[in-house]
Amino acid sequence: MDGSATKKLEGRSIAASLSHASVKFGNFTALEDISLDIGAGEFWTILGPSGCGKSTMLRLVSDLVPPATGKVEILGKTTEAARLAREFAFVFQDATLLPWRSALKNVELPLEVGRKRGIDVPRGDRTPKELLELVGLSGREDALPHELSGGMRQRVAIARALVCQPKLLLMDEPFGALDEMTRDRLNLQLLDIWKETGTTILFVTHSIPEAVFLGQRVLMLQALPGRVKEVVNIGLAYPRETPLRETPEFNSYCGRLRRLLEEC
Amino acid sequence: MSVSEAPLAVTQPEKGISADARSRIFNIAIPLGTAISLLLIWQFGVRIFEVPNYIAPAPSDIIAVFREDFPLLARNFWPTLIESLSGFFVGNLAAILIAIAFVHSRTVERAFFPIAVFINTIPILAIAPILVLLFGPGMTAKVLIAALICFFPTLVNMVRGLQAVSPQTLELARILSASKSEVFWKIRLPSSLPFLFSALKIAATTCVIGAIVGEWIGADVGLGALIIDSTFNFRSPLLYATVFVSSGLSVFLFVSVTVAEKLIVRW
Repeated sequence: MDGSATKKLEGRSIAASLSHASVKFGNFTALEDISLDIGAGEFWTILGPSGCGKSTMLRLVSDLVPPATGKVEILGKTTEAARLAREFAFVFQDATLLPWRSALKNVELPLEVGRKRGIDVPRGDRTPKELLELVGLSGREDALPHELSGGMRQRVAIARALVCQPKLLLMDEPFGALDEMTRDRLNLQLLDIWKETGTTILFVTHSIPEAVFLGQRVLMLQALPGRVKEVVNIGLAYPRETPLRETPEFNSYCGRLRRLLEEC
Repeated sequence: MSVSEAPLAVTQPEKGISADARSRIFNIAIPLGTAISLLLIWQFGVRIFEVPNYIAPAPSDIIAVFREDFPLLARNFWPTLIESLSGFFVGNLAAILIAIAFVHSRTVERAFFPIAVFINTIPILAIAPILVLLFGPGMTAKVLIAALICFFPTLVNMVRGLQAVSPQTLELARILSASKSEVFWKIRLPSSLPFLFSALKIAATTCVIGAIVGEWIGADVGLGALIIDSTFNFRSPLLYATVFVSSGLSVFLFVSVTVAEKLIVRW
């Protein structure tokens, strides 16, 4: 395993850290002995064969499933404390917008709920309207989700995730259901958003080129039980633009990951 | 047809009327024409074969009743309207509240759902006399019968609607640390509305049937009473007119619910 990811680098602040974490569903071990440190502001992509626990890993970090053993911390807090402080946000494969709310009202949802649980809902620097502008949807504030395309809906979901200015953005195959052209365009846009906001991103994907194009590091998981196979550092400079996809370096990373994936 | 030919067909002028408008006129003209034809066949069939008025009145006889006996029809229309509407509100409100209780507590659902199914299996014609015996000849029994007939479809649909929230949406609510009441008001209740309106459309027509059945059993006024009265007195044109008023009432309630749905469920 590539040591650079698990070793704490000098002066690198940690956004999320997992130590010997495992997840069990009854007798089934979904994740086993995961130890990772994710540096603040980093962009990680997660790859692996189906059933390797990629989604489970995001759900572990986001306090949706508890660890059976080990520990998970976000910015030095427990996952529950981080959830209550809105330190992280989640983007699902399906946009999960509320169909009766306009795009703007959907982005505002996180600001409206949670007070009853004693949360002091943090307001980001950007208003919901500015966030829709950031994802390229200005002028569509009043549109209902069914009036928007799949790519637009997913961009609304991203704007909603950013509304409390999270330090950590968890994305579970957010572009998996979109056509390839839309996906490529949203990849570029996501890199812009990452640069603008400086948030840490954990991004699960099925697509090797997407993992290479977006990530600074690719976390390769293996299945049955889900464990870390390898962390691959992607040494391609940002800003990354479309022509990068045709360079030999890009393709050699893709080839290396494909071979790794076949070993899993 | 190739793509290049398509614009030709669209731009061809049809004596000032666009193809769109023509198809719209056609959509109205066909059912309307069919209805008028059937009425004409009925009218002339009855006249040609000299069917006695009390066995099958001609449409013109029924129109005559509407003209001459309008106050009688109106006098009997209002009680049925009030009973139907009250039954509609009582039955659906009870169903909605019980559905909410079911969704919040599995125990309540296990305890009461079999009873709800049992009540639904009793034919309304069998339970109506029981309610009239219990509550007397006033409006209460009719309202309850109308409510009972609305109750079950709304209960079943509302339970389904409140549960029709995707697991991912519930995960989102959990990540946002939403409370149970926030999940209910902001997610479950709005997502149940399309299901609720399907049920309300059923209830809009059945509540009228419930009120009329109640009036059959024992009432001096109401469309149901008028149906019984005109049948026993061989006043067939009046009977037919009453039947048309009854179905007109159902259609009116159905259309009202449909309009409300269009205004509220915009997604």
